[in-house]
Amino acid sequence: MTQATSGNAVIEVENLVVGYGDRTVLNGITLSVDSGEIRVIMGGSGSGKTTLLRSLLGLKEIASGSIHLLGKKFHYGYPKHMSEVRRQMGVAFQGGALFGSMTVGENIRLPLREHTRLDENTMRIMTRIKLELVNLAGFEDLMPSELSGGMVKRAALARSIILDPKLLFFDEPSAGLDPVTSAELDELILRVRGATRTTIVVVTHELDSALKIADRITVLGKGEVLMTGTVEEIRNSDDSRIQDMLHRRPREEDQDPEDYLRRLTAKRH
Amino acid sequence: MESQTHKEGSYTILRLSGEIDFHVSPKVREAVLAGLDEGQNLLVDLSGVSYIDSSGIASLVEGYQHAKGKSLSFALLGVRDGVMSVLKLTRLDKVFPMFDSVEAATAANK
Amino acid sequence: MIKYVERFGDYVLYVLEQIGWMATLLFKSLYAFAKPPYDLFAVVRQIHFIGARSLYVILVAGGFTGMVLALQFYNTLERFGSIDLLGSATALALVRELGPVMAALMVIGRAGSAMCAEIGIMRISEQIDALECMAIDPYRYLIAPKIIAGIISVPLLTSVFNVIGILGGYLVGVLIFGLSEGAYFDSMYAGVEWNDVEMGLYKSLVFGLILTWIATAKGYFLHLDRRGAYGAEGVSRTTTDAVVLSSITVLFGDYLIGALML
Repeated sequence: MTQATSGNAVIEVENLVVGYGDRTVLNGITLSVDSGEIRVIMGGSGSGKTTLLRSLLGLKEIASGSIHLLGKKFHYGYPKHMSEVRRQMGVAFQGGALFGSMTVGENIRLPLREHTRLDENTMRIMTRIKLELVNLAGFEDLMPSELSGGMVKRAALARSIILDPKLLFFDEPSAGLDPVTSAELDELILRVRGATRTTIVVVTHELDSALKIADRITVLGKGEVLMTGTVEEIRNSDDSRIQDMLHRRPREEDQDPEDYLRRLTAKRH
Repeated sequence: MESQTHKEGSYTILRLSGEIDFHVSPKVREAVLAGLDEGQNLLVDLSGVSYIDSSGIASLVEGYQHAKGKSLSFALLGVRDGVMSVLKLTRLDKVFPMFDSVEAATAANK
Repeated sequence: MIKYVERFGDYVLYVLEQIGWMATLLFKSLYAFAKPPYDLFAVVRQIHFIGARSLYVILVAGGFTGMVLALQFYNTLERFGSIDLLGSATALALVRELGPVMAALMVIGRAGSAMCAEIGIMRISEQIDALECMAIDPYRYLIAPKIIAGIISVPLLTSVFNVIGILGGYLVGVLIFGLSEGAYFDSMYAGVEWNDVEMGLYKSLVFGLILTWIATAKGYFLHLDRRGAYGAEGVSRTTTDAVVLSSITVLFGDYLIGALML
């Protein structure tokens, strides 16, 4: 476990427990992310990484533990804090989550319209600056349905950084993209951090991309933090589950033949 | 954020300092456009600016375009590293004329 | 046996829970909308969608409803030798009952289903999550304008429906069956009173609220459906549910308001 309270942590999670109904998905997660860091959260499917992200975004109610973002308690019971923090954070969703009824430009401008009183010219120039940044210059007036998958992701990134957030969350940047587009996106994440010192949290299962962009990686497994460390530390870990992940070995679960037979033949679960 | 203007011949020098974010950038925009509307060349001194967000950058871009439309000169002075890296990210470092001092800027335009 | 009781209890709890979510949605939306800044432009856009774009359907449905009414009433009244009452019978049936109900059913079919599907798709494609993460209140931004627009549009559409229906009745009664124009309209003036119009107005206000409320709530809480909500299948099932539920609620509400106000 890393230092839970280093002076400039912008994300602090302590003993987080989250579940759906009776099923516990996150079982006591503790982690902290420093300002300006790129933190990759990795894990296979079922590891709880999506649930962790949704909890960090305030979209999933937590059972116990605490989440502090930018030094404020970030929790359903604190709607003021949530709204303040959310104005300083950006989220790029896996599928882009662009609004189908608006053009790309209107999508990107939406947070500006809702939260600022900037001049129309300023908003237009800001939108175009962000579009240039993600290599979508000239696509302002298209509808999201006219964009390819990679373009939708880049437009979503542009929208998430329109207010120059202190905190940026990126859900599965490379999912569904070809290797070249995915590499471009990684490059973009690094450039954004380099210039603006934004703290970036990337949730992914894509190993290559994680190793390329991460300052530190947190590996989740079955709802717990297996390890947090630099790329080097992760590589040198002697934890077999992490080595399995690094070498893409399928999970070998010890199997009880009796139990297996029962699962196959039982009439109901 | 604070701003002061003073005139040197055909140049207006707009000196900004502090942090420029979307709360104050409308004032920056106003100051920039007001200087140009008087028909003066404009130098924006950013040496006291520690942080600028994209709304501030957008205001400067609009000012520069405005100046070009009126055939006036427009330049940034004393850009610090933090601001420069934001300009570089958006490749605007190649767009704005930038100088270290008022003298250098006026000399370049002669 | 115990198992069935348990399942029934489970189901009742689920229904109560759903009613709770829906009540929350209505309350939060209206509350959010009551606070400035008022997003009137969004309401106007929704009035265009729910109201203006339903106009053709309402015109056609209203015309035919009036014609059918006049046709049936003419046959019946003729047997009793009181065809003079055709105007008031047609107008009363429209203003009190058929206008509000038919207009509401038309709007459910045309706009309610579309609203439910739209919001449902926004839910499953994380667009509503995106709104929340941008600190934009989905209740204020997405739901409230639709509900307000429904309350404004449905009474207006109902009035249009009534007027066209009365003209449809005129077409059949006067132009086809040769009733005198004076008799048709005079009996209408004599027979229709303000409280008939008032009842129709209250009904259409309530229907406007109910149909937008059910359509938006069904879509918004798609992800909480206990039969699971995944992709196109979830959206289509929820939309069907919303149309059926809001149609039944409108018919039930029609009876209830009628019984209470008589």
